[in-house]
Amino acid sequence: MSSSGEFFDRTEFVQYFRDETEELLQSIDSDLLRLEGYVDTKALDPEIVNSLFRALHTIKGSAGMLEFVAVQQIAHKLENIFDLLRKDRMPLTEGGINLLFEGRDVLTALVRVAVAGGEAPGGVDDYVQRLDAFAEIYDSTAQVIEGPRGEADDEETLAPVDDERVAAFQAEVERMLAEANAKQPAPAAPAVDLDDAQAAVDAFLSLSPIAAVAAESAVAPAPREWPAQPAVAAAPAQQDHKRVGVAKNQTIRVDIERLDLLLNLVGELVINRTRISDIASTLGRELGNKGGAGRGMAALAKDLSESSALLARTTNEIQESIMKVRMVPIGQVFDRFPRTVRDLAKARGKEIRLEIFGADTDLDKTIVDEVGEPLMHLVRNCIDHGIEAPAVREARGKPRHGTIKLNAYHEGNQVILEISDDGAGIDLQRVREKAIRNGVIDENDRLSDREIIELIFTPGFSTADQVTDVSGRGVGMDVVKKNILRLKGVFDVDSVQGEGTTFTMKMPLTLAIIQALMVRVADELYSIPLDAVIESQRIDASDLRTVHGGEVITLRGQVVPLIRVGEFFRLGAPRDPDKVMIVIVGLQGRQVGLVVDSFQGEQEIVIKPLSDVIGRIAGISGATILGNGSISLIIDVHSLVASAYGSGRATRAEFSGV
Amino acid sequence: MSESTQVVSFKLGPEEYGVDIAQVQEINRMVAVTKVPRAPVFMEGVINLRGQLIPIIDLRTRFGMPRAEHTKNTRIVVTEIGTKRVGMVVDSVSEVLRLPLDAIEPAPDMITGVDTEYIRGVGKIDDRLIILLDLAKIVTGSEKRELETTDIETAA
Repeated sequence: MSSSGEFFDRTEFVQYFRDETEELLQSIDSDLLRLEGYVDTKALDPEIVNSLFRALHTIKGSAGMLEFVAVQQIAHKLENIFDLLRKDRMPLTEGGINLLFEGRDVLTALVRVAVAGGEAPGGVDDYVQRLDAFAEIYDSTAQVIEGPRGEADDEETLAPVDDERVAAFQAEVERMLAEANAKQPAPAAPAVDLDDAQAAVDAFLSLSPIAAVAAESAVAPAPREWPAQPAVAAAPAQQDHKRVGVAKNQTIRVDIERLDLLLNLVGELVINRTRISDIASTLGRELGNKGGAGRGMAALAKDLSESSALLARTTNEIQESIMKVRMVPIGQVFDRFPRTVRDLAKARGKEIRLEIFGADTDLDKTIVDEVGEPLMHLVRNCIDHGIEAPAVREARGKPRHGTIKLNAYHEGNQVILEISDDGAGIDLQRVREKAIRNGVIDENDRLSDREIIELIFTPGFSTADQVTDVSGRGVGMDVVKKNILRLKGVFDVDSVQGEGTTFTMKMPLTLAIIQALMVRVADELYSIPLDAVIESQRIDASDLRTVHGGEVITLRGQVVPLIRVGEFFRLGAPRDPDKVMIVIVGLQGRQVGLVVDSFQGEQEIVIKPLSDVIGRIAGISGATILGNGSISLIIDVHSLVASAYGSGRATRAEFSGV
Repeated sequence: MSESTQVVSFKLGPEEYGVDIAQVQEINRMVAVTKVPRAPVFMEGVINLRGQLIPIIDLRTRFGMPRAEHTKNTRIVVTEIGTKRVGMVVDSVSEVLRLPLDAIEPAPDMITGVDTEYIRGVGKIDDRLIILLDLAKIVTGSEKRELETTDIETAA
């Protein structure tokens, strides 16, 4: 292939390469973690090694096609190591596995540079040297060991195939592999070359029934018995082939923007469907009124209304299906953690077991993409601040191994994500002292335990005595919390000193569709996300009080500040002198009453962002298009609650109820 | 024949303006605009354009002219600037003109109404003057300034 650019759209392929490689690197990571369990056991799960070999082989092939030479080179060298492992020519040692983990990271860095450009990562040459040196030992010893091996004789008797035919086959396989390498098959269509390889395998298998048995045993667990080249070389091809048939055909990659576009179009369809239904029923009524209209017309009107009902059903199903398409399992995020935990635990000299539950819990793609960072930060926090060193744990009568649990499950219309550790818990005394030293609170402030825990969300707050490269780098819990809030999630911490800490995040299933309470304020219909609504009430104006110049009501003994939405948004609506309609919204134990003109019921709405041309508007988080085509703005409960509590109208002590 | 450019021309008051036809996506009659509270003053609101939310700028207010009553001639010119779609309310849309490039002159310092910052040039065709607008600046440029002032207001 001379100039690859002539034959395919390079950008698209690079993107494909990036996505595919990202997945493969992820699988390499988890396979390496599994493999680590076999260190020094002298036994190996050949399936893991094969899977690693295949992944690297694919990366190598794709990188070659795109002329990412550095990636190709490292993938090739790593592939060789797995080849040695697979052929049992190399024992699996701790040093080896660390070198492989490192190789995976080098590869990741090289891929990133290849795809996105930028500085080549440092230390690659050094790594290659170490890797080569490492591999060389076994490559040469393997040849020495090979000779006197007794098994070779067994093989002779097992497979009485004449040498000539084996040699011919070997040459054929080599030719095909070389050809496949030269072609560097497009990842989209690897089946063509694999078919050839498969044919070669089939041809070989047809040589003799005994050889077939032997070849199969080579594919399966015991490569030791079968050092002969052909079967081993063919094995990955055969398994690749199977994988192509089973997995690849069942999923396709779709740009999320195309789905968004589709969702928009469906929204349009929904609106038009409503109009058609309206027209159908109006027509029916009109014809009924006139009475004299011909039978034919009446029948037509009936047809129209039936078919519009059908249209309605189909449209709803399409809408639901598209929403489902956007859902992906949270496991995509969780998969990153075993490696992080392993590396960090090692670096900190801690022993940590990671348990993952509910990895198949589905969430909207947007949330899954955004939630990774905050989760990672929390996991790092657990490792760094939560879990104690093994010796400390033993002294406290706990198992040496600390445990971090990641859990995800659905609860109603929400997904709950939990990260918990059985570590030291949050040291309330230390948090308090630190907060006093930083001037966040006063020495005389009396705070509940819960309020003290809340202090860790103060920007720049860290109880770590020394700054490590794990956490305590200034990216604080405040950022984590902010990110979760931005995703319309609720964030909660529960900590028992000496027993551990649990972070709980409640996330909406999807950011795109929510339940909303519709309210009218000065001729405009606003939507309030229902998950933030606690209750709605009609209250006599005489029950209103003022505190520090702000209006409040007392609700079951708790003082709740009010915001008049019409005035906050400067809509100029007159106040009702007798009654006030109040929607109580709450976040994190803080409540605010929103004064509106009337309640208009609940509704499912599709959230659309306001154009960035408009910029950020305080109190508005987006908009939605209603069934009749009109627009309703969505009230940003977070910013309203923040403004009620941040403006000095209410002091924290007064509203600290939980 | 010299090179030329095509512009969509429209009116604000007595003056005639033009925008590059490549930036115009469509021209619509006036529809109900949903007000966005606390947005910059020239931001008329948002409209629903076949399921998409399009912000609407009142071009008169944008240029510091007095607001006008909407008439049957009032139009929303939906433009596409980069990836952003913005609708602009104008008094009326006149026509699509072909302007020879050599008929376009740089904006004179003194020009009626509009800040020269938003002007790419002035086209002369017969005895008409078409003020050619730089849409990107109208949408982004000083709207930031407006937003900043809104913020200050909010903070106060």
